[in-house]
Amino acid sequence: MTPQLAKSLAEVRTMSIVGMCKNAGKTTVLNWLLANSRQERILGLTSIGRDGESTDVVTGTEKPSIFVPEGTLVATAKDMLRLGDVTKEILATTGISTPLGEVVVLRARSAGYVQIAGPSITTQLRDVSQLFFELGAGQTIIDGALGRKSLGARTVAEGVILCTGASYHMSMEKVIEDTVNIYRIMNLPKAATLPPEPENGLEDCLKQHGEALVSGALTDSMVLPLLRSGLLRNGRLVVKDPSKVLLKPDTLDKLQTRQVRLEAVDAARTLCITINPVSAYGWKFDKDLFYEKMSQAVDAPVINVKEELA
Amino acid sequence: MIAIRFEEREKIGLQYALDTLHGCSPFGIEKIRRLRFYSPEERAELETELYNVEQSAKAADELKNVYDKICLLLCQMKEIRGTLRRIQAMECPDHVELFELKNYLQRMETLIPLLQQMDEVCHLRDLTFHDPAAALAVLDPERTRSRGFYIPDSASPRLREIRQQKKQVEEELYHAETDARKDELRTKRTRICAEEDSEEMKIRQSMGSQLAPMVGDLLADTDAVGRLDFLIQKARFAVRYGGVRPEITDGHLELVDMVNPELCDLLQERGRSFVPVTISLDRGATVITGANMGGKSVAMKTVALNVLLLQAGFLVCAKEARMPLFHSVKMLFDDLQSIQSGLSGFGSEIVQFQKALDEVEDGFALFLLDEFARGTNPDEGAVIVQAVTRYLNGVDAISLLTTHYDKVAENANAHYQIIGLRDVDPEAIRRELAVTGDDGIQVIARHMNYGLYRVEGKSDCPRDALNICRMLSLKPEILAQIEQAY
Repeated sequence: MTPQLAKSLAEVRTMSIVGMCKNAGKTTVLNWLLANSRQERILGLTSIGRDGESTDVVTGTEKPSIFVPEGTLVATAKDMLRLGDVTKEILATTGISTPLGEVVVLRARSAGYVQIAGPSITTQLRDVSQLFFELGAGQTIIDGALGRKSLGARTVAEGVILCTGASYHMSMEKVIEDTVNIYRIMNLPKAATLPPEPENGLEDCLKQHGEALVSGALTDSMVLPLLRSGLLRNGRLVVKDPSKVLLKPDTLDKLQTRQVRLEAVDAARTLCITINPVSAYGWKFDKDLFYEKMSQAVDAPVINVKEELA
Repeated sequence: MIAIRFEEREKIGLQYALDTLHGCSPFGIEKIRRLRFYSPEERAELETELYNVEQSAKAADELKNVYDKICLLLCQMKEIRGTLRRIQAMECPDHVELFELKNYLQRMETLIPLLQQMDEVCHLRDLTFHDPAAALAVLDPERTRSRGFYIPDSASPRLREIRQQKKQVEEELYHAETDARKDELRTKRTRICAEEDSEEMKIRQSMGSQLAPMVGDLLADTDAVGRLDFLIQKARFAVRYGGVRPEITDGHLELVDMVNPELCDLLQERGRSFVPVTISLDRGATVITGANMGGKSVAMKTVALNVLLLQAGFLVCAKEARMPLFHSVKMLFDDLQSIQSGLSGFGSEIVQFQKALDEVEDGFALFLLDEFARGTNPDEGAVIVQAVTRYLNGVDAISLLTTHYDKVAENANAHYQIIGLRDVDPEAIRRELAVTGDDGIQVIARHMNYGLYRVEGKSDCPRDALNICRMLSLKPEILAQIEQAY
């Protein structure tokens, strides 16, 4: 871990950890962050949905539990309290209900293990972060769950750690390609100006202005015909929410070669990408090759969770 | 006992009135949702409640800030009665339950001086809270006054010891070098954590036992909080719709310029206003007659609404009121009858009537019959309603009937008529129609006087139908024939 990366991780006020798959190393990253924030400032910790079980429910592999330092604020469902072993001070009940009971905010009065099941709606996550800050937290970390890439949305977190690994697919190429695709979409450049929103369809708007604001999903079937007709050449598309860009890597490449600028209303930051070369399903990648290829494919720092954070 | 079905509440505008209230605490919301009516035997309690509401309504302007602060506090209160009952049953409360209880008690602590401020102006009766200090002392033994709930190390010597061990093992783990040593320490840590958990449980249990004797008072306070919540809502309702505290009588009912909040708001939206209705009723049957769309049912529903508001402890929506307390309120509205009974409309009406009559005869009642027997032929219907009216004169109830039928009124103790189009010149309306080209129905509605007047002596239903025909310029040939037959 470089000092620059450590600095950028410390700078963001809200951070979410997004996994490409199970066993990507999310919890390892989280524990590393928790351990290294020791005594620096108070962390607020929650998750989207349920996480932190000690054995992976799907694969049966041992998973690292979440270990928080004394003073950490934790938002978790009431039923999860008895599964942790920190000394608890209950600070607030949030009124957010989950299948595992109401989400409760506690302060860890001792270091210890916690089980986290936070809110499952992004607006509720924002409320919980807000509550953390009111209660004195300096940084909020949201542990993302599998397939919740919407956590990359900046309304939820300023910075994202994207975790990927061999568990995603047997082919290293596939893992890298798909991770890079998500990375590219999550890191669209911030639009300097906002183009008009299409009133009579995207095509019409592009004809008139050469650019358009897309408020909903952006799909291949919307983009490909426009590329074919040449309407998009040298044009600009600005999306409101990057997590709603559902373009294939191939389409993204095509946009790039035709010099179509794809931008987002807000700029996100993928702080780093972590890789886990060991799959929970039995196979392993060559760790050096995996690291090298991933580093070449993205311009964010890459960390091998098995080596640097273990 | 007064029991009102939901459809009836909706029909007379009681549900609307309740929906304008914004209960804040779970206890107040429950009081509004499960509305309870005072019986005549509870007159003293009702008088106290009415006095409190009147006082609070009078001071609503002056105390606006205090009320707002109280409501804000009430909104933050959580339902803790379940926890209290568990504590009473000697079950062990968990961390979150104790947290919520502590929070509630802290809010009570803030509420008490606010209630005092209110009391200085309103001089409320029978509304007090117990001092929460003793209960708070159990939950906050170190008097930190913090918002959170935490079992402090000082709760027991054993707990202090365990927690020190936990810290120590943590420290050792941090410095441990071999995996074997780490495993050993982790096993030790697990044991310590289990001990901590069981010691904390003992302490929570003991907190519960200390609180148990106070549960009765604490539950009484939740009820008082609910009453205070409801009281402020009733006061605000009275301010909004002009409430008056009625003089309670032994049988005479008199409402001067009463209004119906639902219709007031509805008409106001349409740029019109509700015409206040004055009515005076005594034991026996009173009949209201009048043209269609003339507001007979509205008058009747407004009586029912105000009677129920009173018995739920509200000020009533009128300028002046003298009202008795009823054992039951029964209403038969033509469109409320069950269609599932398999009988014809008329048949089921009779069944309903019979059932209602049994209850009405149980104790002093208010009995409302809207267009009774309208579903049968007019000749028979008239005979039936006449007989019913005569019978109701002898029943210990205030019975109010609306009808179209002839010669019913003369069988009743009193007779009211809708002023309707009595004072309107049909020619004038015809001319207005010709000039404005407006919808005829709307023009007539505009001129309709919804007020009531008491008819002394013999009088039949008004002949407004003919007037309406004239105004709406019915084909002259037909009109001539009608006039001839009159």
